[in-house]
Amino acid sequence: MSILQFLSDSLRNGVHRIGQIEIQTNDSIDQIQLVHVDDIPLAAQPDQGGLKVHRDPEAARDLSTFSEDGEYRFTKGQTNLRRGWLMELSSLDELRRALDLFYPAALGLLAAQKEGRLEIEHLRDKLNRQTGMYRFARTISDAGAQQLVREVCGPAHQCAKRILWQLDATTSLEDSDASRYSGIPGDIVESEAFPLLCREACNHFVAECRKVSKAEADRAKA
Amino acid sequence: MPLAPKPESALFIVGHGSTENPDSSTPYFDHADEIRRRGLFKEVHCCFWKEEPSFREAWYLTDCQEIYVVPDFISEGYFTQDIIPREFGLTGPTSDIRGKTFHYCQPVGVHASMTGLLLRRAREVAPGIDPASTTLVITGHGTGLNQNSTKAIRDQVDLIAASGAGYAKVTDAYMEEQPFIARWDELAPTGNVVVVPFFISDGAHSYQDIPVLLGIEPEVGLAASQREIFRHNPHHLRGKTLFYSSAIGTERHLADVILDQVADFDARRALATA
Ligand code: SF4
Repeated sequence: MSILQFLSDSLRNGVHRIGQIEIQTNDSIDQIQLVHVDDIPLAAQPDQGGLKVHRDPEAARDLSTFSEDGEYRFTKGQTNLRRGWLMELSSLDELRRALDLFYPAALGLLAAQKEGRLEIEHLRDKLNRQTGMYRFARTISDAGAQQLVREVCGPAHQCAKRILWQLDATTSLEDSDASRYSGIPGDIVESEAFPLLCREACNHFVAECRKVSKAEADRAKA
Repeated sequence: MPLAPKPESALFIVGHGSTENPDSSTPYFDHADEIRRRGLFKEVHCCFWKEEPSFREAWYLTDCQEIYVVPDFISEGYFTQDIIPREFGLTGPTSDIRGKTFHYCQPVGVHASMTGLLLRRAREVAPGIDPASTTLVITGHGTGLNQNSTKAIRDQVDLIAASGAGYAKVTDAYMEEQPFIARWDELAPTGNVVVVPFFISDGAHSYQDIPVLLGIEPEVGLAASQREIFRHNPHHLRGKTLFYSSAIGTERHLADVILDQVADFDARRALATA
């Protein structure tokens, strides 16, 4: 199934949310509105509550680059998407382009998962192919990595993604709010949202692994 | 030769990206936008080493079976020869990866059409200035680690010198090796000097480090003023008139070079199978 087909089937089956974005469409999916979940009431007002209207899907890049407080969102699963905008699009293709900028590859990963074609990358594999200064990340202990998942991932730490990876093929993640998270932030039934998937640890997680590895090595020396 | 449309294929523009500086990936998105507007490919995507979507997730981005991968990099080197092939799972110029065909093109910076781009940028940054009284300096990082980026710049210098553009002198210069960009005034026999950084994006090198080495800025400045660096031409310094350009990769016409690399790939492939 193509990504476009997956997207249109899902919308027709009642999916209307991805991450912090509400997707509102008409039946023929040629009038589409994207809005931050917290701005849904504003968007319903006659003057659209003063939200700034965008009609170019490429605007999604600028809208998703910085959080409200100016933090650079290089990991797009962060639950700090800016508010105050509304995007009006007129085709499925435009919608897909916008969503690919808001949540890169999210739809493609879901479509592949649905067909059993999604390949997961476990943490050890990811760490073992780090180079340069991140090479050091690979020496992190299992316990250190398990602890990091609790400290870095999950909505308590502003990440909305559902973790699919394990430490390695035989070592699953210890149960925690983060490891168990659905990938669907906010209050919505699961069948109405696209979950955000984490198929490999992000660069932020790898950078944190490196710090823990170093601390572990220092402790061993002390 | 203009590229024939490929309505069934996808184009992947591959960049480095940054976890600290969002400006670093802006040119890649701009180039993708420009190419998308021309309607030559069914899909155009960017993917990055340090940003999302990652190289490993790129496979999932597209519905197309055939994908052209163009490294939006300035030279051959570690990234284009090791990292990108490894992360994508490429095995040669054309690779079949889980049912999709990937064509791996050469990086933009080594294409001969970069010469035209550099000349255009040099003219734009110093409008109305006679090349005969001007030294053109193409500058890069230059370290022992990546000889190829130095070579890419030297090749461009030779091509510009041979192009008949009429510059009194064309030279390369580097942040960390001879000839040093910090000594630009000694490298230039002329009163006018145009400096074009041979990088894809305006990162710390082009808006902080090089301006300090040139003497435009007293010290590595605040990121907030980064764009200003390129607006204050010309600079009257060390008895000369200096024009400083933003990174060559930020040039809109770099989109043409990306397409040139795709066309070259096809031409090489046609030759190989002829
Ligand atoms: S590794 Fe953790 S923090 Fe990073 S994207 Fe995945 S779930 Fe989020």
